[in-house]
Amino acid sequence: MRTKWCVAGLVMGVMVWMPLGAHHGGAAYDQTKSMTFQGTVTEMQFANPHVLVYWDVKSGEAAGQKWSGWMTAPNKLARAGWTRKTLNPGDTITVSGTPHKDGTHVLQIRKLVGPDGADLPLTEN
Amino acid sequence: MRTLAVILIASTAVIAQQPAPKPAPAPARDISGVWMMRNPPGSNRAWTNFTFTDPKLEPPALTAWGEAKFKEARDSNGGNYRLDETNDPVLTRCYPPGVPRVYFHPYPFEVLHTPKVTFLMYEYDHMLRRIYTDGRTLGADLDPLWMGHSVGRWEGNDFIVESTGFNDRTWLDRLGHAHSDQLKVTERFRRIDRDHLHLDITMEDPLALAKPWKTTFFYELRPGWELGEISCSGDYLEWNKVEARK
Repeated sequence: MRTKWCVAGLVMGVMVWMPLGAHHGGAAYDQTKSMTFQGTVTEMQFANPHVLVYWDVKSGEAAGQKWSGWMTAPNKLARAGWTRKTLNPGDTITVSGTPHKDGTHVLQIRKLVGPDGADLPLTEN
Repeated sequence: MRTLAVILIASTAVIAQQPAPKPAPAPARDISGVWMMRNPPGSNRAWTNFTFTDPKLEPPALTAWGEAKFKEARDSNGGNYRLDETNDPVLTRCYPPGVPRVYFHPYPFEVLHTPKVTFLMYEYDHMLRRIYTDGRTLGADLDPLWMGHSVGRWEGNDFIVESTGFNDRTWLDRLGHAHSDQLKVTERFRRIDRDHLHLDITMEDPLALAKPWKTTFFYELRPGWELGEISCSGDYLEWNKVEARK
């Protein structure tokens, strides 16, 4: 599994792809900030238009808080190798992203380290 | 495993320094397959996500009607928007995107040839266009459709699609350039080798455009990909409700 993600990451790094615009609004998220959490997955919704992940924060100031985050479309993640069982309840993840401006515990996910310690691809390209 | 990753990185670096292998030639009169948009090599035309030509260098020639309509449009600010800040008909109402705006949605499309019809299937919202190649011509009095009426023909190895009979409820692009029900779109699909497709698009609209608006989009064959399901009304409008609550 880890090798697969490594290869996917290399392919992404080699190719120069156009930045594909998000269908949905990023204006609600503070693009100047980034937050990182280590958490335990409670749920993943592998559904359109954005894959959602829910987790309980394990450590740091936010320990014990419930957070969620969204990624791109499931079709795109599926083509990058994801399935709806890539993340499961109980998995430990490290997730980084852009926080919602109003303080809601929601991230626009920018980086996600999976339970085996490897970055999970966040785009199909 | 970490060692393997290092080896892969090293080998990729070596590969990157060698000239790219020559692509296989394009098959004759065949653009079938799954295609994904990409920039021309060495370019980063970010504006192609939202409009056809560089707005500063090659703005479209609009008529007074086209200018007035464009001023009414509140676009999605490069994707950085709130729902109440835009009147984009796709984002706010899930209208079908129309042609050629459908090419701005960042999802692949698939081409399937049959003897009398070529099907263009877009992953975004299940959009399907039937391109008739049975020799029929486009009539002058067509029922207006979101995605228009289309006929196709081959010129050498280029597949030419002409479309008219659009309604006037969609935008040409994601910036909000308008069109009328007099819109005519010509697409020339040029498969330059097995893996690469160039799409020349020409828009003509005597009500909205003072002269034809032309562009070229670039696609790459994705042999391992399968189109998935995306339903705007079922998936996106529900998400919009979530967003609107925040």
